[in-house]
Amino acid sequence: MEQPMIPLIVLMLPLLSALIILLLHRSLGGASALISIGSSLICLVASIALLGSPDKTYPLFTFIHFSDALNFNIGALINQQSKGMLFVVTFVGFLVHLYSHGYMKDDAARPRYFGSLSMFMFSMTGIVLADNLAMMFIFWELVGLSSYLLIGHWFQKPSACNAANKAFMTNRIGDFGFMIGILLLFSMNAGDLSFEGLKSSFTNGGGAADWPVKHVRDAYPWMITAAALCIFMGAVGKSAQVPLHVWLPDAMEGPTPVSALIHAATMVAAGVYMLVRCSFLIAASPFAGDVITAVGAVTALLAALMATQQNDIKRILAYSTLSQLGYMIMAVGMGANAEGMFHLYTHAFFKALLFLGSGSVIHATHHNQEMDKLGGLWKKMPITGTTFFIGSLALAGIPPLAGFWSKDEILVTLDKSWGAWALLLLGFAAVMTAFYTTRLFIRTFMGKPMDQDVYDHTHESGFVMTGPLIFLALLAIFSGFIIFHDVGTALGFPGGITEFIFLPEEGPHKYHIDWAFAAASLGIGIVGVFAGAFMYWGNRKDRSTQLATWNPGLYQLIKNKFYFDDLYQAGIDRGVLGFSYIVSWFDRYVVNDTGIDGSAQVTGFSGGVLKHLQTGRVPNYAMAIALGVVGLAIAGLVVRG
Amino acid sequence: MITLNHYLMVSAALFAIGLAGVVVRRNILIVFMCLEMMLSAGNLALVAFSRFRVTDGLPDYSAQALVFFTITVAAAEVAVGLAIIVALYRAKHSVDVEAASKMQG
Repeated sequence: MEQPMIPLIVLMLPLLSALIILLLHRSLGGASALISIGSSLICLVASIALLGSPDKTYPLFTFIHFSDALNFNIGALINQQSKGMLFVVTFVGFLVHLYSHGYMKDDAARPRYFGSLSMFMFSMTGIVLADNLAMMFIFWELVGLSSYLLIGHWFQKPSACNAANKAFMTNRIGDFGFMIGILLLFSMNAGDLSFEGLKSSFTNGGGAADWPVKHVRDAYPWMITAAALCIFMGAVGKSAQVPLHVWLPDAMEGPTPVSALIHAATMVAAGVYMLVRCSFLIAASPFAGDVITAVGAVTALLAALMATQQNDIKRILAYSTLSQLGYMIMAVGMGANAEGMFHLYTHAFFKALLFLGSGSVIHATHHNQEMDKLGGLWKKMPITGTTFFIGSLALAGIPPLAGFWSKDEILVTLDKSWGAWALLLLGFAAVMTAFYTTRLFIRTFMGKPMDQDVYDHTHESGFVMTGPLIFLALLAIFSGFIIFHDVGTALGFPGGITEFIFLPEEGPHKYHIDWAFAAASLGIGIVGVFAGAFMYWGNRKDRSTQLATWNPGLYQLIKNKFYFDDLYQAGIDRGVLGFSYIVSWFDRYVVNDTGIDGSAQVTGFSGGVLKHLQTGRVPNYAMAIALGVVGLAIAGLVVRG
Repeated sequence: MITLNHYLMVSAALFAIGLAGVVVRRNILIVFMCLEMMLSAGNLALVAFSRFRVTDGLPDYSAQALVFFTITVAAAEVAVGLAIIVALYRAKHSVDVEAASKMQG
């Protein structure tokens, strides 16, 4: 097969599938699922084929042509980053498609669901392949749209509608910053937005092509920081970092496979991926890097705390996703791209596993996702329970599962660049991670059933749903080992993980495990697990409510998610609605009553007065003409002097 | 010696009398005749100007041409005006200008 064909297939096939399904969904019916699953399988095969291909940029076609100097192109930048990311996206995507076939089998709007899912795959592969920022922005908006469509899939529920709106609008705030950042780079680099062009402008000294960047760097150094922070704002929105994190937990209103694919494994990780692609920018502005690290750290910590007091199993996983994304963003902010991407990959596997596992529980218990009604499900659902257990261990950071290696990597980097106090805070977040994971697992799968009725009706899901769980569980166990040099070599990637992250000129470096650090990291995980087990094992109310009795204020603070939502609501109520009240007053009384009605009234009134001049009697008109003539004569005399 | 000013004074007097007639009189035929008189006042002024503006021993003929033009237009105006008066009379059975009191449309 000719080389440019593969990226083209990966990009366009999901679009084709989405178009076919959305246009013909009435006549297709159940076949729509097969089209969608088929297209995602072909994409997976194509992306595996791409893994071994050489790094190259394939210009596919011109999107908008202004002049020879100014074009917006659609192209595919195939390098280590995009190959690895594409594999993760299509792999998790395919499993989620397959799983959806079981999960959504009773849903009336299945064609719409699968059409939107294909639409999402199209948008996401577009982001991954994008060879320039303009193309990335286009697909960035498209994933926002697909996410909106899928969160609001059950639009009959008002909560799903609201969640979809909230996700879309919150993302728009971030996207606006992203757009400004792109425009700043556009002006800095003389209209060249391709990653390779930008990168060479930012890294090479001298040369004709990079004069604007060089000029900006010398004359307005703050502008590079501003561009980096604006670009980062896009990642804050899409990857749900504090303070724009509020949409992600609400996005759990969507179908669970969607939560697994979009709101855990791939789309929310797009922010991290985008920052890695723009790493030259972060490297050029240490201050922006520090801000990014700090935001990531705050998110990791706050979200881990918030997750400890939720009762909805999907919401716990959502806050956990926030927290893990915080780790990734933090790593990228410190310039540790390889570590960030590694965590992105492992997280995609084990978090998709956890979400699909929770979906299996929700499906089996007829849409029950409150932990207060679950419990003891392991016996009923052995496959889901076991795979969920593996996913939980990976999330908690227990070796030798995948999450341990990648999180450990990030913490090592944090220790090197920010020192002990940062490590202490994030170590605490790691303890919390293990704690809430244990809580989630114990309250769902262990102990006695909380609601006998729900328990009795529970049954293990079919193979179409448990199959993806098993696949992902295997990856959650083994994907971490690829950091070891020997494993990497055996698999044909001599550089280990760094093979997939660093561009050829930067690396790959070998990974050296720090055993003392790893032991400490393991200790952290075990402390968290034991704390969780101590409080929730056996459903002892005296222990599980300890925080509420010991410090009610702190308990309320965490339970209410640090009041972010209430703060925004208050801001909207007071600020936005207050301002719009003033605007509406101005519109009503100044524009409408004075401006529009006022001029109409003046016209009406003057007409009422002036109509008396029109008597209809001939002598009056004759007199008017005569006076007019006399008046003109006098005026003529006066003007003549 | 009769100068241009004498002619112009007569013309002005004719015009003023005509104007006064148009404004004050109520019989529409009288008003109409007064209107004609105002036109004649204009014609008189024009021919006086023509007579007194002599170049190379000849009067200014363009003014006289204008007078003929005015007379022609006046003839047409009379035709239309009288037709209107007839129509008014048929409608109102009166030649009083006050009869046409709905001129505002």
